[in-house]
Amino acid sequence: MQTTHQHAGGGHEHKAAPTVEEITDFEVLEIAVRELAIEHGLFTAEDHRRFTEWAESIGPAAGSRLVAKAWTDPAFKARLLADGTAACKEIGIDWAEPTGFGTPSDYMNFRVLEDTPTLHHVIVCTLCSCYPRPLLGMSPEWYRSTNYRRRLVRWPREVLAEFGLILPPEVEIRVEDSNQKCRFIVLPVRPSGTENWTEEQLAAIVTRDCMIGVALPRPGRTADVHPVHKARHPVHSSPSMRAAE
Amino acid sequence: MSQRSELRQQYEIIGSLQPAIHTPQNWNYEIPSALYRAYMHPPHDVGGQRDVPVHYEEKEEEQWELNTYVTCEVLAWRGVWNAEERRRRADNDLGYTLYLGMPYYGRWIWAAARMLVDKNHISLTELLEKIAEVKSRYEAH
Amino acid sequence: MKRTKAPHARKSAGNAPARFKVGDRVRVKDLPNMFYSRTQMYARGVSGTIAACTYQDLIPEDEAFNQEGRLEQYYIVRFRQKDLWEEYPSEKDTLQTEFPDRWLEPA
Repeated sequence: MQTTHQHAGGGHEHKAAPTVEEITDFEVLEIAVRELAIEHGLFTAEDHRRFTEWAESIGPAAGSRLVAKAWTDPAFKARLLADGTAACKEIGIDWAEPTGFGTPSDYMNFRVLEDTPTLHHVIVCTLCSCYPRPLLGMSPEWYRSTNYRRRLVRWPREVLAEFGLILPPEVEIRVEDSNQKCRFIVLPVRPSGTENWTEEQLAAIVTRDCMIGVALPRPGRTADVHPVHKARHPVHSSPSMRAAE
Repeated sequence: MSQRSELRQQYEIIGSLQPAIHTPQNWNYEIPSALYRAYMHPPHDVGGQRDVPVHYEEKEEEQWELNTYVTCEVLAWRGVWNAEERRRRADNDLGYTLYLGMPYYGRWIWAAARMLVDKNHISLTELLEKIAEVKSRYEAH
Repeated sequence: MKRTKAPHARKSAGNAPARFKVGDRVRVKDLPNMFYSRTQMYARGVSGTIAACTYQDLIPEDEAFNQEGRLEQYYIVRFRQKDLWEEYPSEKDTLQTEFPDRWLEPA
């Protein structure tokens, strides 16, 4: 709902699916590994189904609600900055899901980076793609790219400018290289022109990119616009490749 | 690799993936320390390397990509490996050529397969036969 | 078959007390690289300031090979960009990233 899908130009146009469904090498490998793991009792089809259900329930809307609540409720904001993981429960996000100890990759050390008029945070993981999945869902492809990871830590002003965000020199840019077991989102400054807005109205302008720190919220900006590479067999499009169904 | 022409094409592609440091003999008795350090550098540590401006793209998720993410996480949930081990295998153990050349989740599923074989949960033959079987199952569709 | 324990089920081989507190000046160690590390090359040998004491956990060099070593204190360290990249154009900008105790020494 927050990402406007646009077709990329150049070599990225996706051709119509062939009438005979082709299966790619990675699709074959994925099925083989999953089936072998289940046959050998390393996990059950039910484990896979339960985790899939959780993975399909997450997305950036949770993060947007968190930011909107912090903007309108100073006491909540104080709790959020003091203990991010605990404060998330107040908006129905439990970092312990879906296993009881969190996902194996996201851990339970969530921290909020608060922007001020003279300080702007932006997040990267130079080593892989560490990302606060329980609050923002799956990371965008560009966030995982070597290009973003190589450049953001050394040329942040240039990279932000490519995202359309040009910050004046008097604003300190603070890059957070999320390289261990903490997970972060940016709490942007509430923009002017949003006085008397409801939490729901505010949440609509807090897009995923604002919480990574590559965009700033403003009235009227309700979507992150990027070129989109279309999938061959998108999630749910190919029942025969869906696990455990 | 049924066709000899496909075999020739594979040799061409594999040749083009070789390291750029070509010497008259393709093995070394010694290497300079700086080159040793560069070889030992973990491929995933890319922060600060030069690169050119690009369009930052979104990518619609493939079904196999979601399945791969879930399989890797559930293997960790059930204690078969942990996320740090996955990062070591999928981002470093496979070397620069594969690290920079394979799709993001391609590296994940490759790492999961390698881990299952390394830890003797499955044999390599079992994996190869399964891959061939899955392939023929879907091609018969 | 040896399995990896979930975080809440781990029996630590002991944990090390935090050596640093917020505001302390530290330098990132420059150990050799081999097989695995989450201590970025760009930060090695560079001094910064402890910005937060975060949690205690296994170190990545152990966890990546399924070794249950001792738990260590982790810290978020803040660097001046100018200390990381000498050609960096602004005095103001900063970068933060995280390290376990053994990768840091007093500066």
